[in-house]
Amino acid sequence: MAEKKTSRKTVKAEGPTIDSVPIVYRHKIPISKTVKYWDGLKEGKIYATRCRSCGAVYYPPQADCPYCGSSDVEWIELPGEGILETFTRVYSRPQGYEEFEPYIIAIARVGNVRVMGWLINVKDERCVKIGDEVILSTTYIEKHNKYIITFQLKNKQC
Amino acid sequence: MRRVGIIGVGQSVFGVRGDVTIQELAWEAVGEALEDAGLTQRDIDISIVGSAGTRTYELYPAVPVNEYSGFSEKGPLRVEAACATGSAALAVAYNMVASGFVNIALAIGVEKMNEVDTATSLAVGGRGGNYLWEYHFYGTTFPAYYALYATAHMANFGTTEEQLALVRVKNQKYAARNPKAQFQFEVTVEDVLKSRPVAWPLKLYDCSAITDGAAAAIVASEDAIKKLHIDIPVWIEAIGYASDTSNITRREDYVSLKATKIAAQMAYKKAGIEPRDVEVAEVHDCFTIAEIMAYEDLGFVEKGKGGKFIEEEQSDIGGKVAVNLSGGLLGKGHPLGATGLAMIYELVKQLREERERGRQAPLKRYIALAHNIGGTGHYGYVTILRR
Repeated sequence: MAEKKTSRKTVKAEGPTIDSVPIVYRHKIPISKTVKYWDGLKEGKIYATRCRSCGAVYYPPQADCPYCGSSDVEWIELPGEGILETFTRVYSRPQGYEEFEPYIIAIARVGNVRVMGWLINVKDERCVKIGDEVILSTTYIEKHNKYIITFQLKNKQC
Repeated sequence: MRRVGIIGVGQSVFGVRGDVTIQELAWEAVGEALEDAGLTQRDIDISIVGSAGTRTYELYPAVPVNEYSGFSEKGPLRVEAACATGSAALAVAYNMVASGFVNIALAIGVEKMNEVDTATSLAVGGRGGNYLWEYHFYGTTFPAYYALYATAHMANFGTTEEQLALVRVKNQKYAARNPKAQFQFEVTVEDVLKSRPVAWPLKLYDCSAITDGAAAAIVASEDAIKKLHIDIPVWIEAIGYASDTSNITRREDYVSLKATKIAAQMAYKKAGIEPRDVEVAEVHDCFTIAEIMAYEDLGFVEKGKGGKFIEEEQSDIGGKVAVNLSGGLLGKGHPLGATGLAMIYELVKQLREERERGRQAPLKRYIALAHNIGGTGHYGYVTILRR
């Protein structure tokens, strides 16, 4: 068994390797049933769906209601404010996000649903508290050519 | 349903295993399990290969793994349940034997995670929920998902970063004595607190690492066990299972894992035991906060008191239940597909009282529990073993 001994013993065996033939995935994601959501983000609006048959509300939106079996859903716009439920600042960033500054992922209670977004304009995450009020908007992210939901603290500076 | 026992277990050395391919790594565990059971490939009716398989060049790993280990005619079935893959493989093997479909089955769990770089690994792990509605927009990572739970648990119950650190300190104490662990050294609370932030409030030492490893278990019917004259079978008393929403925004709260609670209740009921009957447990400590939540969701202590539970050493040898004497995922490493079966490996050794001094749980009832979570509570398995 190849084991390298250090003062803090860690199993790390590095042998000779060869490179694989690379594979590149480029997915095309269908959005025809949720296009209203994607268009809404461009206008600063956040939409959920509501089943016309049983009243169930879906966020993220979905076109089919598995509970009553209906596919008759309507689009409803979510309120522009929410309450912070939890958050984290991501320092170790994944492939595709390496060039962003460490970002804060947050979840806010907005009306009857929970919404994920980036909490922006925060210097010190330790000063942010669960229960803080946030204002929702959308922001264009040029690096990915996409709109995302962003939160800002309503009554304080951190 | 027939009674099912575990008659052989094996585990590779965990760590960065740049010296072996996925099939070579799997064989380290399979060979040991066959030897442990005193069987050969001919005795095994079917092989179940558990591998998340999202980071390896071998996209269909079951067939190459089976061929290399000498099971090419034994009908491999590939199982995937993210980080709970190993337990899912065991559940399939168990059910095949319990139902009478086969008499002896082998469950293999194997993962090669270090063939890609860390940023790629984070991008794969961050997809372990719902790519379209979460990763695509917000760059979620696996540490970030658990950090969302840590922030909420700390705010709701006053759980501290020091209490989280104590989980790592305890688990490293045992990993230091485990020759198959990735990190064989002890750490202090200060080491953990001073390590760099990964996803605040979680720091490097609050997180399990990126690990290569394999583990295997051979299960057999009671009749087969009698015929084979197995000395100390370890019986699978119950397997509880559950799952939860893929979107983390659709969870009921961020202080507990519903999949753990449902799977645990199911397993306790099937086995006819209470949480306090469990003497030794391997719980899913992919992050320090995950072990704290596991104490609570498994019913070892009431909700919100998990921080206090580790502080009072109730999860250590001599406490209410000895947890993660293998070093846990934090100390031993977390090769997704192998993790659930590595828990079984450790608990079988514990129940047979084969562990070295200082790492053997004192046993009276001989009841053990394995708790294996896939994703961020996306899958939950609770397995109860008894000698």
